[in-house]
Amino acid sequence: MLKRTEGIVLKTTVFGEADLIVAFLTKDFGIMRGFAKSPRKIKSRFGSSLEPLTYSRLSFMGKEDSNLPRITQSDIIKPFNTIREDYSSFLKAAEIIDIALRFLPEREPHPELFSLMLGTLKGLERETDDRLSYLYHKIKFLQIAGLAPRLDMCGRCGCGLMERPSAHNRTKHIFYVSHGAVICSECGRDTGQAVHISEGALRFYASLLKWPIMSLERIKAPEMFIRDLALAIDSHIRYVLGTGPASADAVIYKIMTAK
Amino acid sequence: MSQGIIDNLVAELTRLPGIGRKSAQRLAFFILSMPANEAKSIADAIIRVKENARFCSNCYNITDSDSCAICTDSSRDKTSICVVEEPSNIIAVERTKIFKGLYHVLLGALSPLDGITPDKLRIDELIQRIKRDGIKEVILATNPNTKGEMTARYITELIKPLGIEISRIAYGLPIGSDIEFADEVTLSKALEGRRTL
Repeated sequence: MLKRTEGIVLKTTVFGEADLIVAFLTKDFGIMRGFAKSPRKIKSRFGSSLEPLTYSRLSFMGKEDSNLPRITQSDIIKPFNTIREDYSSFLKAAEIIDIALRFLPEREPHPELFSLMLGTLKGLERETDDRLSYLYHKIKFLQIAGLAPRLDMCGRCGCGLMERPSAHNRTKHIFYVSHGAVICSECGRDTGQAVHISEGALRFYASLLKWPIMSLERIKAPEMFIRDLALAIDSHIRYVLGTGPASADAVIYKIMTAK
Repeated sequence: MSQGIIDNLVAELTRLPGIGRKSAQRLAFFILSMPANEAKSIADAIIRVKENARFCSNCYNITDSDSCAICTDSSRDKTSICVVEEPSNIIAVERTKIFKGLYHVLLGALSPLDGITPDKLRIDELIQRIKRDGIKEVILATNPNTKGEMTARYITELIKPLGIEISRIAYGLPIGSDIEFADEVTLSKALEGRRTL
């Protein structure tokens, strides 16, 4: 049966001499893998359409329940080659790809996540504040997947943390990674892994959950909010996954060796 | 005759890349029909390569001694290095008979998704070699795909401060192909890299 959809190439794995197994995030079928015959040969009709991050119009051929349908056609809609040609940009893109591959089951349509991924790649290509695009993507991803941490109320007693606004946004709250929530000072006597997070960052998080991706271009977020939230969200993802994404090691390497 | 030994040979040959069961059977029966000394010579060659093959201490090409034949060839230009991902890429470049310098094999390409970071490749060794051996030109001949391109850009960042000439092999259309079948990324790279005639 022939299937057509739009998809973003997430990862390719070399198979045999010149073949590839390609993982896509598709609009209609969620994450799916397909077999491409000889795309590594110089005169392949696939050209560069199966390079990671390429957004293309795809055709698959295979039985309804086939785990690995054959990719028969791939026409590029947007190549996003500027992201993948730069090591730093690709490292960031690689982490969101990695998270998608680890969190999402195959063949479960997620049109919202597909739009989010496309929007994030467009944002990264436009060179808006990419740290914010990257953070926004992870937060929205967790929200759509139903795994976003609760940062508006105490994860234990349920009291509202932001009902009594403090004098300034720098007041620190504590995010307990194992609870996936901020815990108020009354309940917070645990000794588990904790991340300090400013009240301003908590308010910013609540806003990010509501704002559409287009609004990112107009936002100028304080460095402290992004840093606090990034630390909390990355710790949360590591805890939920049980390990960090493989690409995170590369990010850490890049940071450690930066001059 | 027992089919056991033939089946065993077929099963072993199917381990090779690109060899399915039918091809393996064809090869097995061809080996069976060969003179014994020729078959033994194939088997010996496989054993010798497994026992003696190692990486060249200078460029990481495959060799059976400390330095490979290219590194020890006095007729080659010792101030120019062509950087490739795998030893098999050297064979492809050598077929052109155009490049007369030395090589450096990275033994892979950067791939954050697979956890391949710069420390897992022979990039530090390349930088040391450039500084130590008075290299004047580096040609980056990594594959024209995401991993290869990222690796080339990363190496460029490291080499640029050393003030030597650095270039990347050209992108473009394969000879014998038709422009109408080229994808937009390949064609745009070919246009960007056009040259005056």
